Amino acid sequence: MKRCLREGGDVKPVARLTQRLTARGTALLVDALLVASVLLMAQFLWLCLFVPVAGTPLPSARDVLERLSYGALSGVAVLLAAAWQLWDRSPGTAFAAPRGHSAPGKPWDETFSGFFLLIFVELTFFTGWLVTEVDLHQLFTNFHKAEGILRGLLHPSGAVLFEGLILLLQTIYLAFMATAFAIPIAFVMSFMAARNLTRKTAKARFLYVFVRSVMNFARAVEPLVWALVFISWVGIGPFAGVLALFIHSVASLVKLYSEQIESIDPGPMEAITGTGASLLAVLRYGIVPQIVPPFLSYTIYRWDINVRMSTIIGFVGGGGIGYILKPRVDLGEWGEVGTLVLLIAVTVWALDVISARVRERIV
Amino acid sequence: MTGTIAVRVSNVSKVYPNGVKALDRVSLEVAEGEFLAVLGLSGSGKSTLLRSINRLVDPSEGTIELFGRDVTRAEGKALRALRGEAAMIFQQFNLVKRHSVLTNVLTGALGRVGGLRSLLMSFPDDEVAYARACLKRVGLDDRASSRADALSGGQQQRVAIARALMQKPRVVLADEPVASLDPALRHSVMRHIEALNRDEGLTVLCSLHDLDLVTRYATRVVALREGKVVHEGPPSAFTKALLHDIYGQDAHFDHEEVLA
Repeated sequence: MKRCLREGGDVKPVARLTQRLTARGTALLVDALLVASVLLMAQFLWLCLFVPVAGTPLPSARDVLERLSYGALSGVAVLLAAAWQLWDRSPGTAFAAPRGHSAPGKPWDETFSGFFLLIFVELTFFTGWLVTEVDLHQLFTNFHKAEGILRGLLHPSGAVLFEGLILLLQTIYLAFMATAFAIPIAFVMSFMAARNLTRKTAKARFLYVFVRSVMNFARAVEPLVWALVFISWVGIGPFAGVLALFIHSVASLVKLYSEQIESIDPGPMEAITGTGASLLAVLRYGIVPQIVPPFLSYTIYRWDINVRMSTIIGFVGGGGIGYILKPRVDLGEWGEVGTLVLLIAVTVWALDVISARVRERIV
Repeated sequence: MTGTIAVRVSNVSKVYPNGVKALDRVSLEVAEGEFLAVLGLSGSGKSTLLRSINRLVDPSEGTIELFGRDVTRAEGKALRALRGEAAMIFQQFNLVKRHSVLTNVLTGALGRVGGLRSLLMSFPDDEVAYARACLKRVGLDDRASSRADALSGGQQQRVAIARALMQKPRVVLADEPVASLDPALRHSVMRHIEALNRDEGLTVLCSLHDLDLVTRYATRVVALREGKVVHEGPPSAFTKALLHDIYGQDAHFDHEEVLA
């Protein structure tokens, strides 16, 4: 939205004011978030290290997180952030500044902002260590507990080899169909999601924001969740997996395709527009010839990713090889798990090599 | 010359969204059959002026007429029809690189040949024949089936000229048509543009920065500086002293690239 304002509202004072207010608001928000995180992380570390809870040597990270003073420290952070913006150039101001407008000045390590960001990163690391309960002692002394599994994986059993191969075929087809269904839809939508084609009219700008938002949402939801949705919709089996991967593929391909459209040479498009050609003809001759090779390359890559993902989809009932992998993991039949994992690994590796090679030849 | 006004630019200004004022109340008239050279430093507004005439750029203010019809307010089909009458030649040729030379020439017909067939690269026989004739005019009929990016720069610009001819235009807008070519090739391309003007009777607006080319080909010259018309007259009037006057004392004219 911000970019629309900047590009559409050239010299109009109202637009300029809105733009400045948006920038100011963004800056304040970013600074407040940064300061609040630093304060909260400091409190977290303080509680973890210096305020022992009776009865336990080290409290669990979740308990400490529940005890932080979120409200109070956020309030303080907003005040501090506002004060910072009046006093000096803050990270938020730099973040909200339009592209190419970053103020040249002192090297970062000599400014207060730079020092602050350094503290921020260091605090994040130490906090992260405690939040994720990193335990090097367990890692280095308890290896023998996992030995059985690893031994099983390294001694695959032949019992599921045939069944595995059959379902592997299904997995490859599943990934292929998801990709094939996704191509035409992603192709059409990618033009609507390309910044350089949707600048001129308000309607086009709306279309851009709309398509991008829907796609970002579809991509943000894990394929695993989509699989659960479609399993209850069309029933357990490979078709649910196809649909789940299809949604995710459309979303990813629209992103990749549209970025490719944004990076084309605008010259031929200008030339075709100048002949008086229709919009479709401009797209067909001005853009399509430039994007076909990268589109093919992305599509093959997507198929490759879909094969990998369909294993996980199978875990929840989306068909393919993952479907028979799950019960064997649950029963602890590590030899058979080993066979299946090996089959998947070989397929993924082969597809990776083939797709890399084909993509090299195309571009 | 019939005295018809081919292009009339009245009080046209253009401010880009980033605040750059590329054109500042420019007014000029070009009679049918003229070869007008537009002179100026890069950033003086030459490209913006030419692109405003076929609306590749939307002017912020003012009107532009093409043979008496308002381009600035045209939309949809009317705009496409007007664009069809003004063929453009670009500094970077702007060919569809992965398509054949013949297909590139045929794209010049897209203004009048619409429909599904044209999207599938299938054009009517008479248009294909005309495209071949256009290629012959620029001496490239033997390269019709080569891929466009296999040709040299000078050849690519000649294909672009054939594409312009394919459009059956009345006005040719040439934006620095020889600036990215070797000096040795410049005349070969300029002569083809001159032929469009002399043999086809097309009105040519051509931005140039090389004074030798201006005096050799143009019938009239307009000089732009910072988006304003600062001088107008016959090529013979553009002496080096006058150019100093137009561009300021910092300009040097010992080499032909100085105005680039």
